[in-house]
Amino acid sequence: MTRASPTEIAIHAPAAQRMGFFTDTTVCIGCKACEVACKQWNDLPADGARLRKGASYDHTGALGASTWRHVRFVEIADGGHLPDIPAVGGGRGEQSGDLDLVTVAAQRANGAGGEVDVAAAVAAMDDWIFMSDVCKHCTNAGCLDACPTGALIRTEFETVVLQADVCNGCGYCVPACPFGVVARDHDDGRAGKCTLCYDRLRDGLEPACAKACPTDSIQFGPYDELVDVAARRVGALHARGVEDAYLYGAGDEPADELAGGLGAFFLLTEPPERYGLPAQADSPVQENVVAATAAAYGAALLTAAGAAVAFLAAARRPLPRGPRGLARRRAIRGWSR
Amino acid sequence: MTGRDVTPALGTHGGPADWRRARPGARVALQRARWEDAAWSFLYKDDTRYGAAPVDMDAVAQVNRRMRGAPAGPVHGPLLNAPVWTWEIPLYFWCGGVATGSWFVSVACDLAGDHRSAAIARKVALGAVAPSPALLIADLGRPGRFLNMLRIFKPRSPMNLGAWALVGFSGLATAAVGADLLGRPRAARAIGGANVVIGGYLGSYTGVLLATTAVPLWARSRLFLGPIFVCTAAATGAAATRLALVAAGLPVGHPTRTALGTIETGAMTGELLLSSLNERRLGRAGLSLEQGTPGRLFRAAKWGVRLGLALRLVRRPLGPPAHHVASVCYLAAGLAFRYAWVGAGKVSAQDDEAVARMARGAVTVDDRATGGPRRRRLVSSARTPRGAKRLQRAYPELVRRASLLAERLLGGSGLTAGRSGTGAPPAER
Repeated sequence: MTRASPTEIAIHAPAAQRMGFFTDTTVCIGCKACEVACKQWNDLPADGARLRKGASYDHTGALGASTWRHVRFVEIADGGHLPDIPAVGGGRGEQSGDLDLVTVAAQRANGAGGEVDVAAAVAAMDDWIFMSDVCKHCTNAGCLDACPTGALIRTEFETVVLQADVCNGCGYCVPACPFGVVARDHDDGRAGKCTLCYDRLRDGLEPACAKACPTDSIQFGPYDELVDVAARRVGALHARGVEDAYLYGAGDEPADELAGGLGAFFLLTEPPERYGLPAQADSPVQENVVAATAAAYGAALLTAAGAAVAFLAAARRPLPRGPRGLARRRAIRGWSR
Repeated sequence: MTGRDVTPALGTHGGPADWRRARPGARVALQRARWEDAAWSFLYKDDTRYGAAPVDMDAVAQVNRRMRGAPAGPVHGPLLNAPVWTWEIPLYFWCGGVATGSWFVSVACDLAGDHRSAAIARKVALGAVAPSPALLIADLGRPGRFLNMLRIFKPRSPMNLGAWALVGFSGLATAAVGADLLGRPRAARAIGGANVVIGGYLGSYTGVLLATTAVPLWARSRLFLGPIFVCTAAATGAAATRLALVAAGLPVGHPTRTALGTIETGAMTGELLLSSLNERRLGRAGLSLEQGTPGRLFRAAKWGVRLGLALRLVRRPLGPPAHHVASVCYLAAGLAFRYAWVGAGKVSAQDDEAVARMARGAVTVDDRATGGPRRRRLVSSARTPRGAKRLQRAYPELVRRASLLAERLLGGSGLTAGRSGTGAPPAER
């Protein structure tokens, strides 16, 4: 197992081991109990529910400063778009994809409206996947590398935790996260993200989301054991014919690892982009900082040298000659005196 | 800071919750220590078919590679969170650039023996760097905690180093200007020379700061952003100094005026060249620099530079005023460049297709627009020569090692845990 770099700002404890999440999307039912449990335990405010946020039946949008678990609805019917069901009842929004079963039933009872194939529409609803998304607690964490205040630290469980009493809301961790997890709260001013319930872990309790998950889609445990379980699960699914089941963030060869291996990894059955995940990622700071700094600082020193050369060259140029240039020569000599 | 109530139910605002058990060491109700209630699942024990297969890590690695390397299909966003920086940040970039550029000029003036101009250039630099802390603080989510930037020294984070550079640069600049005012020119010159080392970082780290993010436009420009920003800094700094010196009565034909003109022209030409070169290799990620408000700003900035260069060429018939207008053009263009780069990054982060393609290593020239041919490469089994593949693997490793080494050498014991990390493992109860 890859371990985090020893120079990170980290809490060390002798007996602690890496803990993580294994989120198995094949057993997720999209109940969003994890979201609710997370908000309750971590005292996070509601974001306001709006149906069809982000053009989906998912009404809680995306991960953010006050949403540390988010159940993503992946509608895979019709090539990844919503089932194209004409709106029924008229005037309720054209081509919205909403299927108003009550209206359909009423129209059927009246002997009208045969244009919607209800059976097909309901079957299309089955072409969904749910995925409970969360901070990945990367081994090479971009947010942790970027944080200028040391608010983001590595804990003894090798998770990445933001100390809310240190964060000054600079916002650098937001674009430094290759998974779009960390965000800055507009009202609160600080960044926020999953802590893997660090406070609960310290007391030997499992994180709130894992505790609340009714189907054990979210599993929590020592990282090595989880990888073992996940690999067995992949094998079992393959044996049953689900050949596209794979792990996102664990079990890779070293060259393919996502950000050095994810502390919170997933079992997926579709290409990662369907879930809003990048196919490859690493800490942007570790990837770029040395090369970019060398180029930038080198250019700065070159520019300084260029400026000096420009001045020395100009100083060697002869002053204006002849009687016409007399006044200018005087002025120029007068300046330096 | 208006809107919903963010008062925490426990603890104080921005502090850890202050609660304790009624009895020290008391058990939490129903708790089983060491996560025994968790490990690993309460449903899928050995009597279920949940994980009824032997562990085969090779097969897992194989299917991971296949699925992550397969054609992507539709991209369901959002993949990235857009940067939250507002108008203060590009303005700060511009101010810091002007300060750096003027400082370079002041040292060059000293080298050429024009100490009077050097002293004025130092004042220009100090004037440009003065509003920078205020701008940075205004952009923070918690402005009262600005000093937290300086609670650690973290060479890995460009923003942390930048904050230190800003402090160091402003301190030395103040000292140098103070020495000038106190009539100690030799001290001012010595401090000025030393401050070039910090100034070089202050003027260039802003590019590094943007390049070390996951935003496709910035990350793809990582080798160009720093040099581009340095060019803008040199040109705007020289332009500001030139205008100040002219106002102070620097005569026409003075070598300093000539040199400043050369620096302006050279740096802005370099900026234009680097930008055009970079644009050609950005592919899809470059769309955000062409469209919308950032695109308009970027084009306006480029035309500002071209106008300035043209005015310099025709200055003989028009005389010195044309050159003054050119300097103003450069200053305005520099500001527009900063706003364009930062604004375009926000757009780029929201371009899910570009983000997804960059992750697959497919943001290249040949898939420039949305309708272009989609050439996808596998995550790691790309058809590249063997040597190149090894280099691809070795390079990030090299970068990481170098980064860690630099951090160890520079950071040393300065890196301490934020809180006193006792970090006791959960006790057996």
